[in-house]
Amino acid sequence: MSRPSVTIIGADGSASKDTIAFPNVFKSPIRPDIVHSTHSGMAKNRRQPYAVSEKAGHQTSAESWGTGRAVARIPRVSGGGTHRAGQAAFGNMCRSGRMFAPTKVWRKWHQKINLNQKRFATASALAASTSSALLLARGHNISTVPEVPLVVSSTAFADGAIAKTSKAVALLKAVGAGADVEKVKNTRKTRAGKGKLRGRRHRQQRGPLVVYNPDEDGKELVTAFRNIPGVETSSVYSLNLLQLAPGGHLGRFIVWTSSAFSALDKVYGSTTEASALKKDFLLPSAIMKQPDLSKIINSSEVQNVLRPVRGSAISKRTVVQKKNPLKNFQVQLRLNPYAAAFSKNQLGQAKVEQDKSERAGEKFDELLHTN
Amino acid sequence: MATLSSDLIWEVTRPTSAFLVKRKQAGGVSFSRDPLNLKGKFSRKYEGLVADKAIGVQAGENGGVTLLTKKADKSHQPASAIQSATFPASRSTRKTYANIVNATTKRNYRPDLRADAVARASAIRKSQKAVKADKPKKARGNKAQA
Repeated sequence: MSRPSVTIIGADGSASKDTIAFPNVFKSPIRPDIVHSTHSGMAKNRRQPYAVSEKAGHQTSAESWGTGRAVARIPRVSGGGTHRAGQAAFGNMCRSGRMFAPTKVWRKWHQKINLNQKRFATASALAASTSSALLLARGHNISTVPEVPLVVSSTAFADGAIAKTSKAVALLKAVGAGADVEKVKNTRKTRAGKGKLRGRRHRQQRGPLVVYNPDEDGKELVTAFRNIPGVETSSVYSLNLLQLAPGGHLGRFIVWTSSAFSALDKVYGSTTEASALKKDFLLPSAIMKQPDLSKIINSSEVQNVLRPVRGSAISKRTVVQKKNPLKNFQVQLRLNPYAAAFSKNQLGQAKVEQDKSERAGEKFDELLHTN
Repeated sequence: MATLSSDLIWEVTRPTSAFLVKRKQAGGVSFSRDPLNLKGKFSRKYEGLVADKAIGVQAGENGGVTLLTKKADKSHQPASAIQSATFPASRSTRKTYANIVNATTKRNYRPDLRADAVARASAIRKSQKAVKADKPKKARGNKAQA
């Protein structure tokens, strides 16, 4: 089931009559595994190398005392006149010793990720952003959003119309993205742990991502949106997985400008036509065309080849209370069909008609007593 | 590809969902904060986020209950996807339950959730009752003599 087109929302939030065809990239398979692994690789590629000082824990002239002095053979600080003298040094178990395996700046900080895999993940994250369920599962507040994906007419951005943050906030509110921005504002928290001291004082959720086309919408909107908490902007030509699937979780809420939306087919091409801007790239196609299990099960192809249900129309009812057939006539009937006739003819009440057999005659007595 | 299948959405949201509440207690139970989840249980059947059609029963603002239903054909229009109907506190509980059933099960709308919807509405109505003040305790034993 594919939706053919998306309505373009005007700057005032009302749906216009214009629609845009759904770009092919939104038909990409949704693969949380690929997105997650690619994201965790990409997230590592912005790290700044760090290490402890090369000299840490070794700035003393300690020597081992050797054996025979009834102390461990660990190097000990030489000299006297201070408490430090005679204390163990260097070892990772020592106070003021070096750490175990001191960190080095030449650690393997970066991960190489195959280009095609990155492109696959991006396409997959874009496809996931068209499902309101996945947006909700990511935690976006989209209760006021008229349509997902949300496409705002580029006329709203024309000639640098959105150059001021106040304008940008008003636009987001008008198109129904205000609730999500408001939610993000309230999530700003002081970070737990040492990150506070390392330039990561606060943590907060992500709000909508505004995707624009720099050729047509201009770049003024970047400065307009950049001070709104949680809101990010991205050019449609350089979409980044770290923004499309923050935390490796699918379903970022994206506000498209209409020109960016219509540029998607140029950027990503289709499954059969190579992209104009990405060398040697065809969109991935789903291995499973029909991911709806119940539809597969109920399809005539499957139902036709199934063997008929065994047993009769009356199936055995499991977990039910056992009924006493002597007290419950219906249950008795199930066990003993003759019970119906027996009861109808009142055979249970009928007297047993029996001829009184003749008394054993004299002949019998005679025989009995012959001996 | 706008309407993803429920099965796919469930597989994607099962490990990570904003509605999922996981605790280590009680063998790692998974609860859900979804308003369209009748039992608050994070499972394929009850998770309203996943289903095309889902029922939610919430406490109304001035007492009573609100019935939420999800429109299957509006899945990509979040602003108009959820319909709500309010049954005020003045309506009898039996009528409220009947109305919930008439609006859902009787219209072939998730008949499997019928009992759960009624049970939730019943629990909400019960919780809205004023708590009866305890009777003053009768003095017994020596206290009664004094």
